[in-house]
Amino acid sequence: MTLTVTRRALFVIATSAAMMGLAHADQLDDIRKKGELVVGVLGTDEPNSFVDPKTREIVGYEVDLAKAVAQKLGVKLKLKQLAVAARIPELQQGHVDLLAASLTHNKEREAVIDFSLTTFVTGQKVLVKKDSGITALNQLAGKKVVTVKGGTQEPNVRKAVPSVEVVTFDTGPQAFQALQQGKGVGFVNDEVSLLDQFAKLGPAAAQYEILPANLSVEPLALGLRKGETKLKAQVDGALRELEANGTAAQLFNKWYGPTTRLKFQTRSFKIDSDQVEG
Amino acid sequence: MFFPDADVMPELDFTPLLHGQFLDWLAAGVRLSLTLTVLALVLALPLATGVALARLAPSAPFAPLRWLATFFIEAVRNVPLLAHMLFWYFAVPELLPDGLKARLYAGNVEAAAALAALVVYTAAYMAEDIRSGLRSVPAGQWEASRALGLGFIAALRWVVLPQALRATVPPLISQTLNLWKNTSIATVVGAAELMYQAQRVESASFRGFETFALATATYLGVSLLITALGALYQHRFPARPAAH
Repeated sequence: MTLTVTRRALFVIATSAAMMGLAHADQLDDIRKKGELVVGVLGTDEPNSFVDPKTREIVGYEVDLAKAVAQKLGVKLKLKQLAVAARIPELQQGHVDLLAASLTHNKEREAVIDFSLTTFVTGQKVLVKKDSGITALNQLAGKKVVTVKGGTQEPNVRKAVPSVEVVTFDTGPQAFQALQQGKGVGFVNDEVSLLDQFAKLGPAAAQYEILPANLSVEPLALGLRKGETKLKAQVDGALRELEANGTAAQLFNKWYGPTTRLKFQTRSFKIDSDQVEG
Repeated sequence: MFFPDADVMPELDFTPLLHGQFLDWLAAGVRLSLTLTVLALVLALPLATGVALARLAPSAPFAPLRWLATFFIEAVRNVPLLAHMLFWYFAVPELLPDGLKARLYAGNVEAAAALAALVVYTAAYMAEDIRSGLRSVPAGQWEASRALGLGFIAALRWVVLPQALRATVPPLISQTLNLWKNTSIATVVGAAELMYQAQRVESASFRGFETFALATATYLGVSLLITALGALYQHRFPARPAAH
């Protein structure tokens, strides 16, 4: 994962000269011409995108959404696995056409990329070990928490608890491993990811708990390069169709519903808006 | 298409990075990178010397010592540094007794694990450089000193090491250069060195190009400084072939 960063940094530098003054055709036309939609996913964030241990394929809620978009465009879907911190740069550099990577839609990011309709809404929370004695956010003051590099988790927890110490890792599972070993008192992540990891613990889950307070509410959306209005219209169109014909609700049930580890009883959102609150 | 649109690329602008919190983060990263380099160098040198001497020890009573040193060097050099980092962070501390572990985890375990990985990794490479420096001193020098009645240690201290030093310092400086660059791998275990902080600034500022350009310039600047020191040493103390 570090290599990705280094390679990316080198690439940016090596091609910086070529970047200037280079205009190109519409991205939607390019995608249709090459017959392939390249979608950046995490592959480490169950159930949004993760590697199915049986088939070794990347599957998940966001992968199914990406499939629907590719189908709508009439092209093949190609998934590309990305580190959390690499998502926006990879999109900006054109290495992926679309992000379906547990991406929070917020105002800061609107300055650099565009977003589809909101595809999921989750809160961000903190998972702690019970024996740490921590039961509320303010008790994290001066303590060390772990999380993922390059997401909204770090800024959100620093905003909620200014004196908290934060150590970040390339993937969620690595950060979670650090928490399990006691290298931090809390693990900050999207609630759905925490619930999933919590469920995966099995009997050991009794030693952990998720603090009830939300650090923030995170609307997740697909990410697009800025100004690709034709592509955005198609992507949003595909999502609207999923909502209208009930597929979106089915997908929610398939990955988050009562029969899954996460056991969400109801869906608290609809895929119908690309607006977020500041 | 490979390149982003010109109209979508923001203009290059370093000003947001050169003051306020972003600069503080980057400066903290540079400080930790430099600290890791200096500490790892200071700790790796004696370890490397010990390992090199163990590999060169007379085989009669010291054969196991030689095997151990050879095993250490091969085992360490043939595993990527990234794996060393993860091993020292995720695996080694778990083997410690609980009390010690709790104390370690309460402190900066990220930097400590990174330092351990860098020391061991650098020492293995430096040991080989020191060994070849010692071997560059002709066997006649050893034999002559032993004939004069000097023991192993005394021959090493007064005859061989002074000659070997000149041949050894240039490759050691080059290893120091590698060490400086290798500190960037510590980002995978959450040690807040320059690469870690650069990534943090990138995520917060969306100025990836500028951030990594600054980080690159810093790595390059310090590297050139180390190279210049090496050149200066070689100019001032050129390696002289020992008399036969």
